[in-house]
Amino acid sequence: MTQGRGSFLLLLPSGGLFLGLFFLPMAGLFIESFRLYVPGNIGSSANAPFTLANYQELLTPAFAGFLFETLRISLLASLAGLLFSFPLAYWIVRKFSPRWRAITVGLFVTLMFLNVLVRTYALELTFGAAGPLRPALLWLGISTNGRGYIETLVGAGLLHYIVPVATLTLLGTIQNVDPRLIDAAQALGAPGWRAHLGITLPLCMRGILAAFLFAFTFSISAFVIPMILGKGRVLFISNLIYNRFSEIADYPSGAAISMVLFLVALSIVYVTSVQVSKRWSA
Amino acid sequence: MISLTRRQALKAGAAVAGATVVGSAFGPIRRAAAATDLTAVEWGGDVVNAMKKIAEKQDKVQINWVLHQGGSGAILPKIKATWPHADYDYAAGWEGSFSGMIKEDWLVPVTVASVPNLADIPQKIIVKNAKSEWMAVPRAVGGIYFAYRKDISPVPLNSIEDLFDPKLKGKICWPGPTQSMMLQLVALALHGGGNENKMEPGWDLMKKLAKSGNIGRIAVTDTDFTTSLTSGETVGGFYSEPQLTSVAKSFPVVRLTKQQGMPTFLYQSGFAVFKNRPNLDATLAFINHAISPEMSSLYAEIAGEALLNVKAKTPDSLKHLAFTPEEFDKFVYVPNFDVVLSQQDAWTKRWENEIAPLL
Repeated sequence: MTQGRGSFLLLLPSGGLFLGLFFLPMAGLFIESFRLYVPGNIGSSANAPFTLANYQELLTPAFAGFLFETLRISLLASLAGLLFSFPLAYWIVRKFSPRWRAITVGLFVTLMFLNVLVRTYALELTFGAAGPLRPALLWLGISTNGRGYIETLVGAGLLHYIVPVATLTLLGTIQNVDPRLIDAAQALGAPGWRAHLGITLPLCMRGILAAFLFAFTFSISAFVIPMILGKGRVLFISNLIYNRFSEIADYPSGAAISMVLFLVALSIVYVTSVQVSKRWSA
Repeated sequence: MISLTRRQALKAGAAVAGATVVGSAFGPIRRAAAATDLTAVEWGGDVVNAMKKIAEKQDKVQINWVLHQGGSGAILPKIKATWPHADYDYAAGWEGSFSGMIKEDWLVPVTVASVPNLADIPQKIIVKNAKSEWMAVPRAVGGIYFAYRKDISPVPLNSIEDLFDPKLKGKICWPGPTQSMMLQLVALALHGGGNENKMEPGWDLMKKLAKSGNIGRIAVTDTDFTTSLTSGETVGGFYSEPQLTSVAKSFPVVRLTKQQGMPTFLYQSGFAVFKNRPNLDATLAFINHAISPEMSSLYAEIAGEALLNVKAKTPDSLKHLAFTPEEFDKFVYVPNFDVVLSQQDAWTKRWENEIAPLL
């Protein structure tokens, strides 16, 4: 009983922090999303009436298009990130000497410390309007103003974050898989690829899910990357939210879009987690 | 080895904590002693460079410069979040951002008594509140107009119709929906026979331009415009004056301010002074210094905005923004800014719904 109360007391500071810094602001945002906005004002007035108009105006093909574009690019970048990260993590755990393992992990941790703005501008300076590779790309017939190129560049910007975080997440997962299981499968005649598909991959699935969710939630809420690399033509939902809040001061509309994005993200995380748990519960 | 008893350690800790508290208590006194430290919000690039030069020409105040991020309206929510405690002594802005600040009752009215050099600024241009009080100090007039780089443009831009030329595929830099008050759309509307009250022709032309594939970049910051034009990523478009100032120093930029059928718009840039700040007198004195004839000329030369002080001399580099009355009638369009500003929310949403998917 005393131990239970002690644990509860330990939980209080973080619970209070969560309540004050997450729940209350989100509740404020939720309420703001139902307020009537008068154009020209900065946000809604204190006694503004409640309305559903801020949500109704999102029921357009264009908003669905922005949402789909955000999800599509984020999903592709997250899956591509996992494709790069899994072999990397596997090599670091299984093939590298302890010294090289430490160096590589240190490198990835250092990459995590590198500001996302710096990484994004590094890409812009290399592949963007003034980048040294631009003439080469033009020479190869790749239009740097083409829609496909811009989307690829935004995806590359997301990979800058996804690959280090997914690799670091997968290190522990792969470390926990007993290598003797692969040896045993191969000793029984299974080819290497089959052994990995049948043993390593299923055993790592929860770690892969965690890495995917890290990557995906980061991607769908990305703001700076599409803003800088998207040339104003690839817009994520976060960019719309920023425009509403910071440029036209329409807080209620910005809040409504934020709530939609929040719910979409929660649903995707929930559905993905449930499906993975069902499929790989063993 | 130094040995330390628990009592000694507690005493030492208490001494450090005491010193910290005393230090903190004296902090505000130190800050108060430096009463002429100001915090100002300015645009980046040549504008803040000009203001830094102006600040160097006096020694009464020292300024911490904060730069606008995106449009000047982006500062409004930040101020609202901390109000009634503004973090800034003044913010540079224009009619649009001033209008929001006036509605929120954040600004100190200005007079010739508090800013004597206002006597040399045309009163007609000064932004007023409902009580006709002067609510901002104008410092310059900027132009928003079509321009292109003559050395790399595959075709000369002589009319709005030229924007649709297939040779310009991916070569137009176009302002985003939160840039230039959407006057780019008003320009298209005028070409199609409309105006700020009748925007359908403008939206139709905007859709046509977006579908043409000629827009290579939608610029959302000043740097986007400058970098895109400097690098040759795009060759022309619709710009406000400071975005072209530095580019025009290195490349042959044709400014279409006096081209029939390509309207030029003028906007005022100036200073809004916030209430509830400790250094109001110093702020007003600095602003008075900044709009003096000499400093107005210096500002115009560096920032590339046409000066307003009637006693100041217009630099040669800004002749394209000097209009005779006949030229003004012919080339400059003065929209009803009340209409333009009240439509920003609706136009931005319409852009997202109808134009962005076509880009």
